[in-house]
Amino acid sequence: MPTPEIDLNHKTEENSPNLSRLQKMKFTIQHYYYSYRTNISGILLGALFGFLMSHAGATTYDYHAKMFLLIDLQLVKVIGTSIVVAIIGISLLKKYKVRAISTGVEVDFVKKKYQEGLITGAFLFGVGWAMTASCPGTVPAMLGEGKVGAIFTLIGLLLGTMAYGVLQTYNAHNKTLERTHHNQD
Amino acid sequence: MEIFVWSGWLAGLAIGLFVVLHFWLIGKPAGCSTGYGNVCGIMSRKLSYYHEGEYKNKYSVKLWFLIGIPLGGFLSSLSSTELWHLSFDMGMYDAILPQSIVAKAIWLIFGGILLGFGARLAGACTTGHALVGGAMLNPTSLFAAAIFFMSAFITTHLLFDI
Repeated sequence: MPTPEIDLNHKTEENSPNLSRLQKMKFTIQHYYYSYRTNISGILLGALFGFLMSHAGATTYDYHAKMFLLIDLQLVKVIGTSIVVAIIGISLLKKYKVRAISTGVEVDFVKKKYQEGLITGAFLFGVGWAMTASCPGTVPAMLGEGKVGAIFTLIGLLLGTMAYGVLQTYNAHNKTLERTHHNQD
Repeated sequence: MEIFVWSGWLAGLAIGLFVVLHFWLIGKPAGCSTGYGNVCGIMSRKLSYYHEGEYKNKYSVKLWFLIGIPLGGFLSSLSSTELWHLSFDMGMYDAILPQSIVAKAIWLIFGGILLGFGARLAGACTTGHALVGGAMLNPTSLFAAAIFFMSAFITTHLLFDI
């Protein structure tokens, strides 16, 4: 949604008669950018992520096997260096209380909490990682590179995510049933 | 297709800067596997789990992020000396996986199911737990990442050594 302040500027400028076509185009683009900035930044960041994953070797099957067989530690170097760089960057963002560009609110460093089944889930995830030499972030990048195997991994990923949703929906449904049953007693 | 790969240090530096850029632009940690939940929510109305809580907004930034990733993969493949083409070459894995295409596809679908189900059960994937969670020094994420690596380490050895 466009913020009212920007919308106001936009209208008054557009109504002025001596506005060139180029300026009008500029304001139109700005208008759309402010309306869809989170979606646009999401797509652009995704594209950057896919490009970097690919250039890091994370979309090449052999680097995964070579890392776990301790033949070539390319991916260990990648993840190690990136964590160190990100730790420094995050501490700077925290120190200067930087606000997020798309929302204007201070950056939220929300952390994932421990949840039931984390150990089982992480174990299953690792087996899947070894079987497919890919993870949820690299599969779409592999699709872009033309890797046919990624189509099947993607189908599996969606089925697995779906199965978890079915399980949770079923559990939630049972709980509400139990509760109503309890209340009737 | 042979993709041009940077040195590990350079790629690590770039990905580290990417994590910080994501925080700065979006204001929230980056993640990949949650977007798949959004896709499931869009595909099925009956799955109420993917219509509530953190999945309430189905067209979230995480979904758009996921949509952007193939673009990056495509751009990266342009740096290859070969022309863009479809390929089912799996390198070292071709020697240990079943040889027929159908069996290979079933193997990958099964592996994908474990990735998708495991990521939801663990709360995040390699990006959310190991990369971003590790960078925030979150003990839960570091613990999950350690299990990811150990389990994949053992499985890879079982696949290649036997």
